[in-house]
Amino acid sequence: MNEKAAADGTARLAAPPRVRRFGLVNWRGVWTLYQREVKRFLKVFTQTICAPIVTTLLFYTIFSIALHDRVRVVSDVPFAVFLAPGLIMMAILQNSFQNCSSSIMVAKVQGNIVDVLMPPMSPLELICGYLGGGVTRGILVGAVTTIVMTVVAGFPFHDIGAIVYFGIAASAMLCLLGMIGGIWAEKFDHMAAITNFVVVPLSFLSGTFYSIGRLPEMWQTIAHLNPFFYAIDGFRYGFIGQGDAPLWLGMLVLAGIDVVLFFIVHRMLVTGYKLKS
Amino acid sequence: MSTDAPHEPILGGAPSARRFGAVNWRGLATFYLREMQRGFKIWKITLAAPAIRALLFASVFGLAIDRPDATMAGMPFLEFLVPGLIAVAALERAFESSSFSIVYDKTEGIFADLSILPLTPGEIVLGYAAATVSGSLMVAAVVWAALLVFGGGLPHAPLALLFFISAGSLMVGLFSQISGLWSRKWDYIISVQTFIFMPFVFLSGVFFSLGELSDSARDVARFNPVFYVVDGIRFALTGYGEADPYLAAAVSLGVVVLLWVAAYRLFAIGYRFKS
Repeated sequence: MNEKAAADGTARLAAPPRVRRFGLVNWRGVWTLYQREVKRFLKVFTQTICAPIVTTLLFYTIFSIALHDRVRVVSDVPFAVFLAPGLIMMAILQNSFQNCSSSIMVAKVQGNIVDVLMPPMSPLELICGYLGGGVTRGILVGAVTTIVMTVVAGFPFHDIGAIVYFGIAASAMLCLLGMIGGIWAEKFDHMAAITNFVVVPLSFLSGTFYSIGRLPEMWQTIAHLNPFFYAIDGFRYGFIGQGDAPLWLGMLVLAGIDVVLFFIVHRMLVTGYKLKS
Repeated sequence: MSTDAPHEPILGGAPSARRFGAVNWRGLATFYLREMQRGFKIWKITLAAPAIRALLFASVFGLAIDRPDATMAGMPFLEFLVPGLIAVAALERAFESSSFSIVYDKTEGIFADLSILPLTPGEIVLGYAAATVSGSLMVAAVVWAALLVFGGGLPHAPLALLFFISAGSLMVGLFSQISGLWSRKWDYIISVQTFIFMPFVFLSGVFFSLGELSDSARDVARFNPVFYVVDGIRFALTGYGEADPYLAAAVSLGVVVLLWVAAYRLFAIGYRFKS
């Protein structure tokens, strides 16, 4: 070891740096991206966790006061209990969407998206990293809201498995949708347009506030074409044990949509649509 | 005119400072127009989105309520709801207009430029406030027109409607100026919006009559100044109000004056923008 190397500081390294080798999956890469995504929203947790929880509880209060004896939902379930799972699911959907879409959007606007595209990570691994971050936020918001509402109002838990399955599958659906939106959008305006004109209407008209079975024929048909309906219906089944659509159908629809969206995002990343020129 | 300044004839006279009287009207108008353009350049978000959201709320409630006899405070539920939805849209626009503009300027590092404009603090507050009121009136008009599909019709007392929407948007707009001044970053203003503005607005009787609440909750709700604005707007549209319209007008005006004084003071001392 000569003096020059010591001055450069390389002497402190046990050996010269070498390329890290990994097998089929770059686990460390996925884990790093996942951590980045989680830290990104935790750093502003008042906005990303507290705000949606407070808003959901606020809406819960308002709607239960305004509608409690004016709406007939499913027999022997009080309106407040019927309403809560839908509102929780709406929070999960919106936050999952926001996390993935804003992450990609901000990186594109600031120009640091290359830092995600350059590392030795396959499109599959990138999707997993983003997906993990978005689902973590969605589930965190959903879980805390559920706990608060259970403490305040007391809810039945009919089928924890359904709650978990629909929570995660729906969160993943919106994450993937958010990634597609984030890749496609060129400006924040475009993103706001997707949120205002697609995500919000689909989640409002999904049966959070009413039982689809009581609607006129035409509205029922429309509702069954809305994937958000299956998310809320299945999630609610987990709590109250009753749903408008068969449970297996909801599970199948969500799984199917998740797979299709996953392939679309994968294609976008492989071809570099709007990301690589 | 001297011959050794050849550029002067082109200008047609040496530039001189524009003189104005007690109020810099041109400056005020320029400032007002900038604020308006800022808000309505993105009209899809500032006009179309509130209209769609109001329509969604009305449809959801319309679909949810399957009992034809469902009423609120003695009137059909949707008739009660429509004024509330118009009020929410106008007040949300009022909150977002000044504060978002101020925080945007702050993050861009150009907000302190306000202190070198030939505008007095009073003119700045007036400029922001004027843009807020006109923006809210526009949003209210659009949402009102959109909600005509759910019934409704011409307002019961058009002048009162104009007054209550203006007073309400002033109240929220001045509060929004103060919040904008206080905010150092986007986080701050979003927190004010989520944790203060939204509870005040949504618990003010937008979606339900205070008669639905327990006695003690009702007493608390009556301390919310936004209640008087929403109630006034509902009275002006339908002729039904829970509070006396004159009391509602007096409370709204009183709060506006207080907030105006506060906003003026903060701009005058340069709170969080002059060091």
